[in-house]
Amino acid sequence: MKTTLYHWEPNANSGKPMLTLVEKGVDFESHYLDLLNFDQHKPEYLAINPMGTIPAMTHGDLVLTESSAIMEYVDEAFPGPKLMPDDPVDRWKVRWWMKFMDQWLAPSFSMIGWSVFVGPSVRQRDPKELEAAIDRIPLPERRVAWRKAIYNTFSEEEMKESVRRVTLGIQKLEETLSKHTYLVGDSYTLADINAFNLAYALPLSQPDLSNDEKTPHIMEWLRKVYERPATKKTWQMGKTDMAARVKILERGNG
Amino acid sequence: MALTLYHGEPNGPSLTALTVLFEKGVDADLRRIDLAAGERHDLPFARDMEVAMSIEGEGPVLVADGTPMTDASYIAIFLDELKPEPKLRPDSAIGHWEVLRWARAIAEVLAPAASTLGLRAYLAPKLSGRPQSEIDAIIAKVDSVDLADRWRAVARNDYPEAMVADSHRKLALFVERIEKALDGKDYLFGDFSTTDIEAYSWLAGMPLLSPAAFGDRPRTNAWMERVKARPSVQKALALATVDDPAQSWAPGPEHSRWG
Repeated sequence: MKTTLYHWEPNANSGKPMLTLVEKGVDFESHYLDLLNFDQHKPEYLAINPMGTIPAMTHGDLVLTESSAIMEYVDEAFPGPKLMPDDPVDRWKVRWWMKFMDQWLAPSFSMIGWSVFVGPSVRQRDPKELEAAIDRIPLPERRVAWRKAIYNTFSEEEMKESVRRVTLGIQKLEETLSKHTYLVGDSYTLADINAFNLAYALPLSQPDLSNDEKTPHIMEWLRKVYERPATKKTWQMGKTDMAARVKILERGNG
Repeated sequence: MALTLYHGEPNGPSLTALTVLFEKGVDADLRRIDLAAGERHDLPFARDMEVAMSIEGEGPVLVADGTPMTDASYIAIFLDELKPEPKLRPDSAIGHWEVLRWARAIAEVLAPAASTLGLRAYLAPKLSGRPQSEIDAIIAKVDSVDLADRWRAVARNDYPEAMVADSHRKLALFVERIEKALDGKDYLFGDFSTTDIEAYSWLAGMPLLSPAAFGDRPRTNAWMERVKARPSVQKALALATVDDPAQSWAPGPEHSRWG
């Protein structure tokens, strides 16, 4: 059965199933969509995922969306190293972490990322073209997000709240990783894959909050995950400077 | 495995956890706490990260051999994995993906909408009669800054019109999704599942608060009756200490802040 992943850069939601597939050794077809060129709202892709969100995966006739749910599917449906623990309490822990990141921490990282990177990257284009591109977005929530990023209408209050959450989230990650090697005990799981996608560029994006002095356990964990062959291979699939940021994790860099 | 469930009135996530326990026939020590009085924050593990920062807000806590677990959709999956029979999820990788996909939609669309409408209709008027010192005492116990903000919102009955309209919109969207899923089926995936339990638990009080969402939705209305009639749901509802547990709410999940 053929497996195809529709994704952007190895980063955040796209990177989660990418790294999971590579860790499992799944032979999949990579279909790169340029988020900054609005490829995800073009008819060819909407025929696969009418919501126009990235990533999506096809496996035979099945079409799967929701990156964290796809990760669990990949772990269960394909052979290869197990990325979920056997113990039901530990499995609950992995899911708890993924939900915490997907619904609490990642949106705050993302809001900052969209305000400093995504918005400025597309803002200078023809305004009429941009409005037409926004109008083609299927989900109303995503239209609001793109407008905020393009016109830079984030409120001071919401940016402050995102910074608070990122700061606290980093503290919580450091606390947890000071107790064991990985987020859930001493085995590498989907929770680490999820969190790495959020945190791999921390030493560059939040150098005052996360560095070898303040968060040594996060730094060691990031380097350990970076050193995995699957991580190297996945980040080589990136086409922009965004993915290249991962090199900060080479030991001796930074 | 020794299990203790700290639960509120049988509504929302507490109704989910109780119903799944009863469906599975899993033994647990049941301890009722008043979530709407902030009693969850008096529990010895209230400041553990997994409790204090649960996305679900003031939901039940299942303690398994000393580990406190939150978020009812994952408590449900945990119980289904702990005791495989009777099965409460489809038995395949794609079936498990469906359960997770629905759990995400419940967490992001249904739960914040139902919680907003329920808090505004029932808890906010109740708190408005209480002395400020009593409310301050509850909020002082809440470790999470954002959850404390949601307590402040309910104490001030601060639900902007846009948030209320958005909640009705989300609820209608979710009910439409259920109506489609039930085409030719008695339950969302055919066989009864944790997803039916979870969706019903958030929706039980909604026909009264957002009737338009349920108009012309015959399959959803019949499904609500079918789920409610199950012995497990009846057993959970019988634990109520109030006339209508569907009117019992405590600050739940937030509406998504971004995207």
